[in-house]
Amino acid sequence: MARVVARHTLGWLAAGNAIGVLLAALLVWPALNDSLAPLTYGRWIPLHLDWQLYGSCALPLVGVLLAWCWDVRHPHAVGQARLALRVWSLALLLGGVAWLGGGSSGKPFLEWHGWSRPLLPIAMLLLWSLLATHVWWRRSEFSRGGLAARILLLAGLLIVPNALHWSAGREVYPSVNPDSGGATGARLLASTLGIVAIYGFLAEVLAITRRDRRAWYWGYFVFSVALCIGIEHGNASHHEAAQVAGLATLLGWLPLTWIYFSGGRGEPAARRWWGAAWAWWVALVGSGLWTFLPGISERLKYTNAMVAHAHLAMAGLVTSANLAVLVELRGVDRPRYFWVWQGACLAHCAVLLALGVEETGHLGELFLSAPWTQAIYGARLLAGVVLLAVALSWWWRSLRREEAKNIDAR
Amino acid sequence: MPADAQPDSSRRSAFLAAVVAIAATYGYFLVFAEFALLELARPLFGDEFALRPLLTVLGASGVAGGFLAARQFQLARFCRGLAAGFAGCAMSAIAALAVGRPGMWVVVAGVGLSLGWTTVTLSSGLRAVVGVRRLGLCCGLGTGLAYALANLPAVFATTPAFQTSAAIGFALVGLVATGWMRSGVVDATAGDRRGGWRWGAIFLALVWLDSAGFYILQHTPNLRAQTWSGAWILYGNAGTHLVGAILAGIALDAGLIGATAAVAVVALAAADFIIGGSGETIAGARVLYTVGVSAYSVALVYYPACRARPWLAAGIFAVSGWIGSALGIGMAQDLHAIPPWFVGLAVLVVFSALVAHRRTAATAAALGCVVVLGLTSPPARADDEMIGRGREIYIAEGCITCHSQYLRPGVPQEILWWGPVRPLAESLAETPPLLGLRRQGPDLMNVGNRRSPEWQRLHLMAPRALAPGSRMPSYAHLFRPGDARGESLVAYLASLGAETLAVRMDAATAWMPSAEALMQPYPESRAQKTFSQLCAACHGPEAHGDGPLAASLSIKPPDFSRDPWRRISADEPNRLFALARIIKFGVPGTPMAGHEYLDDATVIALARLLEGRHR
Repeated sequence: MARVVARHTLGWLAAGNAIGVLLAALLVWPALNDSLAPLTYGRWIPLHLDWQLYGSCALPLVGVLLAWCWDVRHPHAVGQARLALRVWSLALLLGGVAWLGGGSSGKPFLEWHGWSRPLLPIAMLLLWSLLATHVWWRRSEFSRGGLAARILLLAGLLIVPNALHWSAGREVYPSVNPDSGGATGARLLASTLGIVAIYGFLAEVLAITRRDRRAWYWGYFVFSVALCIGIEHGNASHHEAAQVAGLATLLGWLPLTWIYFSGGRGEPAARRWWGAAWAWWVALVGSGLWTFLPGISERLKYTNAMVAHAHLAMAGLVTSANLAVLVELRGVDRPRYFWVWQGACLAHCAVLLALGVEETGHLGELFLSAPWTQAIYGARLLAGVVLLAVALSWWWRSLRREEAKNIDAR
Repeated sequence: MPADAQPDSSRRSAFLAAVVAIAATYGYFLVFAEFALLELARPLFGDEFALRPLLTVLGASGVAGGFLAARQFQLARFCRGLAAGFAGCAMSAIAALAVGRPGMWVVVAGVGLSLGWTTVTLSSGLRAVVGVRRLGLCCGLGTGLAYALANLPAVFATTPAFQTSAAIGFALVGLVATGWMRSGVVDATAGDRRGGWRWGAIFLALVWLDSAGFYILQHTPNLRAQTWSGAWILYGNAGTHLVGAILAGIALDAGLIGATAAVAVVALAAADFIIGGSGETIAGARVLYTVGVSAYSVALVYYPACRARPWLAAGIFAVSGWIGSALGIGMAQDLHAIPPWFVGLAVLVVFSALVAHRRTAATAAALGCVVVLGLTSPPARADDEMIGRGREIYIAEGCITCHSQYLRPGVPQEILWWGPVRPLAESLAETPPLLGLRRQGPDLMNVGNRRSPEWQRLHLMAPRALAPGSRMPSYAHLFRPGDARGESLVAYLASLGAETLAVRMDAATAWMPSAEALMQPYPESRAQKTFSQLCAACHGPEAHGDGPLAASLSIKPPDFSRDPWRRISADEPNRLFALARIIKFGVPGTPMAGHEYLDDATVIALARLLEGRHR
């Protein structure tokens, strides 16, 4: 079952990266758009963003849910998991068709619009129904606390498809920082706490943390949530001290996550991926806070530095953590090319950050493809090709029988 | 004893009970679940927008109720199971009259569960009660009666509370009818297992068409008035539904299920095409819509009943009924229209599924249609105006990916280039706001005050001809003959900040190059290179007004070696600054665009270069 999850995850990682490489190439050689018209640059962007987010980033979490709830002794357990994942993937595929056809909500990462809008929520509801059914079948196996935890989780998860459908509506828009046009500190804090909660849950389910380390993690989480609730949630500026201070509390998570994730009983092959994820986490929190600061935000908002920040999160943190999760779930054996992936990802983020820092004073040169900007975009394309090659190799291996044998032998 | 071999009176009694049970189930759905329940919830939740999560709960619990019924179904306990379903329906409806906002969530879940349960249980046991020979007529009569009753003015045009009471009545009558069925329940065989996916796709397309059409009719005042207002129109609808459903039932008993589906899809597609294409008169569409709905509804009841397989029934009602409705309503809510390509797609899906004997071929054909038509579909439109359509094209083409529409009040440079600033509240009032994430090109919040439509058209068609090195894709395909998208996009861009022209002009007039820029040495060769890159396309390499684009401009560029200054008066005290201002900010309303992002030193160097060329 975990191998099915790995195939879907890595397939979407490769597909999302392939689109990313196409986009990077279109920036270096914009005339290529003429050959692709009407499928020009802007129509491909939602595929890159949403396939990564709802495909490669989300599916390992689905794998963890399956591992926690599924009744593997049921004769149709694997078939039902496969059905849920195929429906999920079909929703992503049809979403891609809709976006290429111009059916977009106009909201990045929430492009589901028109006939494609209910597709992923429906796939989520199917998965939820199956999860609930399997928990019901296994109810006598669980302790009272274990059953309650699963019921609580299922109740919470029922909100997700509804929230996705609701938030994809054009009428809905989150609070905006009036001085930057971007996210407020409260929004950034809330979304990061969401990541913290998800990874905390992962560590619990995968049993890779020690019990004696829970208190600090979840204690600080409660404090952070209370703080997040307390600060201004409207259209607040990054010049307001409370917004910056609220975001700065994320620095506390750097040592806490290290303590929480180290010293556990996880798979040895996953450790370096967890380590890399933590390193990217440090960079993500640090750069997120830095780019939010007054004066820095004015310089870097709307530049490639923010693109670097996004790639740092998705290609760095989330991909590393997801590879670790797939190893823990025994969905993949020992993913190769660790350093190649990390190096290419670092290069990708570094060149985009450098471009972002430089471009503010030279926007005309960026808009009109000055040679130095072409060189940076070329380097970014190269790094993207390396990332794609690695993702393809991982996907290819996940499809081979030898991989299954290696996992079984582990 | 097979149902067909029972005594006449017993068979008749079971037949009538089945008709009543179908009418009760369908009537409950039409009058209460689809209408009155939402009207009861609306005052509690505010508006339709807030009702969406409630609808999701209704759909999800309906699917869950159906699958639960499939799991629990046993023919020996059919009547008891059906009675439980009707009792649940009645209790949920009673509770809906009494609860507040929190309780409404529970009620809605209860309605979904009960209705899903009742529908699947009834479908799974009908064949055993009625037999196969007259099953179609039974479904036709039951469905037709439900539609006819729901369309009676006394039911249709009354208060939600009364409609809820009517629905309670439907459920109680259904409950009583289950008692009559007992004598008719006998052992029965199940129908063919094959074809479930094929018919699932057919019913999905039909329900999708119906739901989208229904939503547009319901939410367009003019169309709604023509469809459901006035006693005679409602009586006409009721009669058409009843006759249509009975005829469909007879056709089904004659083995014409494929033909029934074909008639339904043609009628619904024609109706949707008319509804989607105009807001004017739709008299023909009303009849077509009514006939189409009647025909497919009977087939939708008949097909799972004839197969007598609970899981198949649950799957068909989940995918086609609940999910098809969600897709149709969701599409109509977002697009406020029924795109013609979608109507064509639905027809293709139904016919390819009807003619294809291999399941894989049907699936492949359907997916192929989705891909082809999805790629060639026109973007959604917000309204019938050109600017609104242009905005939709801006969204569809992903312009937001590279262009922001937000100026930061604390960054003077971008206000000078692309200003003036617009209050955040105004941007957020748009649906959706298009603030953007990054800038691969300039901000467009006020592009209408600094670029003429003529320039926009040229730039969209051949960006690198006008601005060599630009990373912008060409959108020449939007300007092909017969395609209005390009002009709509130009109209939208021209509208952005057009009302701020005077402010922009004041800012341009007030602009002065910095003292450092005036003093900075700037090689003429570098200025010439910049001129060649940015200006020569229109002005020509030697500024003779003979660039490759000059002939296509409405105002031919001047020959600086011969013509007098056009935009600078003879008594201008500082001609260099005036020239620099034109280079930086352009001449609004003409093809002469500004070069806002050039630094002062470059602007002054270009001005000096042109001054030198001028005779």
